[in-house]
Amino acid sequence: MEIFLQLLITGILVGSIYALVALGWTLIYKCSGVLNLAMGELTLIGAYVCLTFYHWGFPFILALFFTLVIGFILGILTEILFLRPMVGEPHLAVIMVTVGLAFFFKGLVMLIWGTDTRVFSPAVFPMEPIFLGKIVIGQVFLWAFVASIILLLAFVSFFKFTKWGLSMQATADDEMAALSLGVNAKVVYALAWAIAFMAAGVGGTLLGNINGLNISVGYLGLLVLPAVVLGGLNSVPGAIVGGLAIGIIQNLADGYLSRFTPGGVKDVFPFAVMVIVLLFKPYGLWGWVRIERV
Amino acid sequence: MSYRPCGVYHQYYRQDHAWWQTKFVWGKMIFLFIAVFYLFPQYAGMYFIAIANVVGYTILSAMGVQLLIGYCGQVTLGHAAFLAMGAYTCTLLMLQLHIPYPIAMVMGGIVGGLWSVLFGLPSARVKGFYLIMTTMAAQFLTVEFFITQYVSKIGGRGVAFSIPPGTVKIGPWMIKDDRDVYYLMAILVVIFTIIMANLVRSKIGRAWIAIRDNDIAAETMGVNIVLYKLVAFFVAGFFGGIAGAFWVTSLAAVSPEHFHFGWSLWLVGVILIGGVGSIHGTIFGALFMTLIPEALKFLIFALTQNPVFVNIMPFLPLLLEKFLYVKEAAFGLAIALFLIYEPNGISYRWWQIKNYFNLWPFSY
Repeated sequence: MEIFLQLLITGILVGSIYALVALGWTLIYKCSGVLNLAMGELTLIGAYVCLTFYHWGFPFILALFFTLVIGFILGILTEILFLRPMVGEPHLAVIMVTVGLAFFFKGLVMLIWGTDTRVFSPAVFPMEPIFLGKIVIGQVFLWAFVASIILLLAFVSFFKFTKWGLSMQATADDEMAALSLGVNAKVVYALAWAIAFMAAGVGGTLLGNINGLNISVGYLGLLVLPAVVLGGLNSVPGAIVGGLAIGIIQNLADGYLSRFTPGGVKDVFPFAVMVIVLLFKPYGLWGWVRIERV
Repeated sequence: MSYRPCGVYHQYYRQDHAWWQTKFVWGKMIFLFIAVFYLFPQYAGMYFIAIANVVGYTILSAMGVQLLIGYCGQVTLGHAAFLAMGAYTCTLLMLQLHIPYPIAMVMGGIVGGLWSVLFGLPSARVKGFYLIMTTMAAQFLTVEFFITQYVSKIGGRGVAFSIPPGTVKIGPWMIKDDRDVYYLMAILVVIFTIIMANLVRSKIGRAWIAIRDNDIAAETMGVNIVLYKLVAFFVAGFFGGIAGAFWVTSLAAVSPEHFHFGWSLWLVGVILIGGVGSIHGTIFGALFMTLIPEALKFLIFALTQNPVFVNIMPFLPLLLEKFLYVKEAAFGLAIALFLIYEPNGISYRWWQIKNYFNLWPFSY
């Protein structure tokens, strides 16, 4: 039972980071209909930018803030340079542009920062674990959880209560109607990419704090795809629940199934779950049911 | 000159179906044949032959992707998984059961095809983005899990299967160096191109194109779309398996790293740059994606030899050292820019140039 609780809680804590990144993904999809396969690389860029600022001697909070700023700028630039010319093109072309971006960003990251594993030194969060009864939780996980929850709340309230958030919701709901009511779709698309970059950057920083930072963090960023498929592609609550669920499923699979296989379950199990979800409930938990059956 | 002049009509269906309809095309193809099979391997250095092998491997691997994406409209981001299945089946059959290479190669193709059908089954229910996700999952489940964790451990060989020299032979012909690999590659590319070109103008190919253009309309016209989609997946997987089994010849050791996710994406990039829905496109894309990075590398190398340029651009030696990443970034940028500025790919440009010269000097 303790093992189960331990795995469950670790899963929730890691899952909150996935939820944050998945939120950014869903946002782009909701607003502009772009299926972004470069999310892993966005997490990488954010993480490395934050690491660089941190090693230049800024306090972690400030470094994180700068990461958000840089993410904002990069997001808007990416949208203007690469995605705006593709508005109205076929879906596959847009998806492949994001694949091209993924290669481009990954190449740049490896060119600038190299492929060795880097760690945040001195460590940002204290090393001593916290004991809750018999359950052990690393402080990194706890703080990562707190940070992602704060950001999730911030983003969600941004959508609910600010003018720009509301116009993003309107665009997501019906682009034509929003345009005719005076919503500036260009700004909305750019903003969606900016927010996705920011969310992914923070997510990447937190993941980098847990295990050290190398190219494989980008692979963890790819785990948002199972999360959003599970939650439904265009649902913000779905993204959050999906992220948490994928975190939990991943950790439970690691804990219980590892002994039956030579290894590697943790990495592929979310994708196996994704295939099953796609087969039986392709629109996820709360996605819009408008898949054309073939 | 590749079109028949005005007023000359076909008299038999045989003429109408002929691939090469004019004397000029015959001459061109015969010259190409001589160049590929005699002039190039005879006079090119080993370096160029090695590059040609990579081009050929890319063509062979991308042919299946072209079939799925370009002709049947089923996007696949996991083609390296089918290459890997073919390569591993072929290697295992050769090493464990000592089956001759040609048979092992065909078996590799069949296993690759069946594996592809397995992951193509969801295409009966979902399409578009959801199918992309499924094929991506195929990549991770197959290569990162099934092959790395289980298949690689067969026979206690550790992670990589090394192939002893002299294992790969077709009858008395031992494939031992790059030149032999080149001949095998050239033969396979010709066979693949012929099969592919004839498939897409047969009943099956017309059904695929109908599904690509509008699947609902195709269904109302009586095309069994599930069947034809699965056939497309099988043929693509078969091509992939053969390509993987071919690449075994030029690898000293088969290991999962040769079939990573990046290679799947690379293949999709190849056909996007070359031109979707065109066999020429596959070949042009493979040439472009292999030759341009090599040329870029050569350029950077040449620049680093000259101290003047190194003084102007002090980052040059570093670029050479990290060329792999430069290549990756350049590739990504190339895909994005091609999709934005030349969405029809190189083959469209080629077609335009050809037409220009055909109609020259009166373009109306």
